[in-house]
Amino acid sequence: MADAIIQVENLTKRFGYFTAVDHVSFSVGKGSIFGFLGPNGSGKSTVIRMLCGILAPSDGQARIAGFDVARQSDQLKGIIGYMSQKFSLYDELTVTENLLFYGRLYGFRGAALRQRMDELIALAHLSPYLNRRAALLSGGWRQRLAMACALMHKPTVLFLDEPTAGIDPVARRELWDLLFEFSGQGMTLFVTTHYMDEAERCSHVGYIYMSKLIVCGVPDDLKTLPAVNPSGARRLDVTCDHVTVGLQAVRQMPGVRSATVFGQSMHLLVENGVSESALVNRLAEVGIQHPDIRPIAPSLEDVFVTLSAEQAENGGGK
Amino acid sequence: MKTPFRGFTAILLKEFTVVFRDPTALFFMFFPPVVQIIAFGFALDNDVKHMATVVLNQDRTVESRQFLEKLENTATFRVVGEVSSVDELSAAIRQGRAYVGVQIPPDFARNVRAGRNAQVQVLIDGSSSTIALQALQTAMGLAMRESLVTTLKESGRREMPIEVRPQMLYNPTMKSAHFFVPGVMGLALQIATVLATALSIVRERERGTLENLLVAPLSKSGLMLGKIMPYLCISMTMATGIFFVARWVFGIPIRGDMSALFLAAFLYVFTLLGVGLLISTRAQNHMQAMQISLALILPSVFFSGFIFPIETMPRIFQWISAMIPATYFIELMRAIMLRGASIQDYWLHFVVLAGMAAGFFSLCVLRFRQKLG
Repeated sequence: MADAIIQVENLTKRFGYFTAVDHVSFSVGKGSIFGFLGPNGSGKSTVIRMLCGILAPSDGQARIAGFDVARQSDQLKGIIGYMSQKFSLYDELTVTENLLFYGRLYGFRGAALRQRMDELIALAHLSPYLNRRAALLSGGWRQRLAMACALMHKPTVLFLDEPTAGIDPVARRELWDLLFEFSGQGMTLFVTTHYMDEAERCSHVGYIYMSKLIVCGVPDDLKTLPAVNPSGARRLDVTCDHVTVGLQAVRQMPGVRSATVFGQSMHLLVENGVSESALVNRLAEVGIQHPDIRPIAPSLEDVFVTLSAEQAENGGGK
Repeated sequence: MKTPFRGFTAILLKEFTVVFRDPTALFFMFFPPVVQIIAFGFALDNDVKHMATVVLNQDRTVESRQFLEKLENTATFRVVGEVSSVDELSAAIRQGRAYVGVQIPPDFARNVRAGRNAQVQVLIDGSSSTIALQALQTAMGLAMRESLVTTLKESGRREMPIEVRPQMLYNPTMKSAHFFVPGVMGLALQIATVLATALSIVRERERGTLENLLVAPLSKSGLMLGKIMPYLCISMTMATGIFFVARWVFGIPIRGDMSALFLAAFLYVFTLLGVGLLISTRAQNHMQAMQISLALILPSVFFSGFIFPIETMPRIFQWISAMIPATYFIELMRAIMLRGASIQDYWLHFVVLAGMAAGFFSLCVLRFRQKLG
């Protein structure tokens, strides 16, 4: 990537015999929203902590804006912001006091401090809760406050570790609106998440599974990967009544490689030899009439499911 | 712009706010030392008085009754009962009804009158050595004096051949409180201060706020000093309160200079806060921090000279006591309060405490890693 602001090469972290992050390499372009996905314990937070310079890598290296994260953490601190998991705040302090603390910590004094705080309060809409203790804030408000604190020094790269875990959908939507705004202003965002719909919003995504980065790129590119779209097979969406009954029926058909329920419909990966009328007939046998069948493109979830199944198989064969 | 104490003001103001936001925590910082000093001050009393004593008087004469009276007049013994056999006498001691048994044989008065050797048997419960020792000394002293008086009468001399006239300096009434309270002051200050800082960084670690601090441009010495200062203020207030209790509740004189007293307290408290902080830099959670703190505090109860004199300890324990800050503080308190010693008299103790304070603080700064894991 030509204008990469984060460059990671073979980054590895071992805790004793356990390898939490295994030779991970990727780069993130300036101003992009990089979604970092993976199940719990796959190494997401470990990567973030190494990139923030608070965890020493065992091997490999990473640079942010040219600064080595392991050796130049002092220079790094001025340009990165970090919103840690669970929005760690000082519970016994009020919203204002939390902001004051981070403001002073980043060297703001007097009028400049006041002004920066006002900007952040306006940005995160915190004004109704200024005198409330952080302990008494709900998840969404804690997250806004934590973000305001992380933005104090106008970082060029902002790391957010599960910023939407445990908050309501409205707050989640608002957070993403803000992130798009920051991205538009040139800030680079590095976000970890569990939610696939959030992954779809990112300009770039990486998927880490069992300590290894198994895929990384633009979401639309990932959906066209050959591994996700095997030749001789196609993806179908089947909308019908009694989806769960239908699922059992079609799963047993030869040529159906995978079938999962997706709300009111099911998503199938079927070999080209299996015709739509064969599916209709099979469903009719279990009493399901008039299914609506249409071809679909793979979702990011399909991408990650396919690739991690592949990874697990390869890993098992090692 | 890399200043050595970067972030100090931010941490300092935050810590102050946090400390005063939580009155219960503040209360629990002040309360135990106060209770400790009052409890120890009143309860720890070496002055053994009015020991329960049973008597087996087989003589039943004026002389034997006079002797028992004199025994009781020493205020060391208090006759709680009379028994009629030697078995009963030893049973009373065995059962814990009395510490001392006095047996006066039937020929006591006869021997005294005849100028022969008259014997009194004194049984002492040796299972409590302090009490036993005091009983022994008092009984022996009494016998010696009675013997001398008799001998003097017989020889016709008016005065004792040699007389020792002791003058007890600094603690004329030999009150135990004068000895114990300065020691308790050292211990009472210790627990609250070590725990206060030991928990402070661990709390940040547990809550996850430590990560935010590590990502911020904050110097280690700024963080450490910012963490110590608020507790230094609180601890000094506590020390003042403890001096007050010592002076006005226990009536212990403060003969030395107040400035010497406060300098000693300042150096001592700073050292302890440094110890707590050092624990905090390595403990992973607050259970660990508390366990390490208590493990470090415990030896000081025995080896600081709080109860047992250091001079009589085996060499190895003397070395241990030399490494304990409380040793120096307790000695300084006794010296300054009771003996009116000045800073010049005890300059070495001050230097050692100052060295410890500086040493522990530097160790915190050096050992604290600005990394996780």
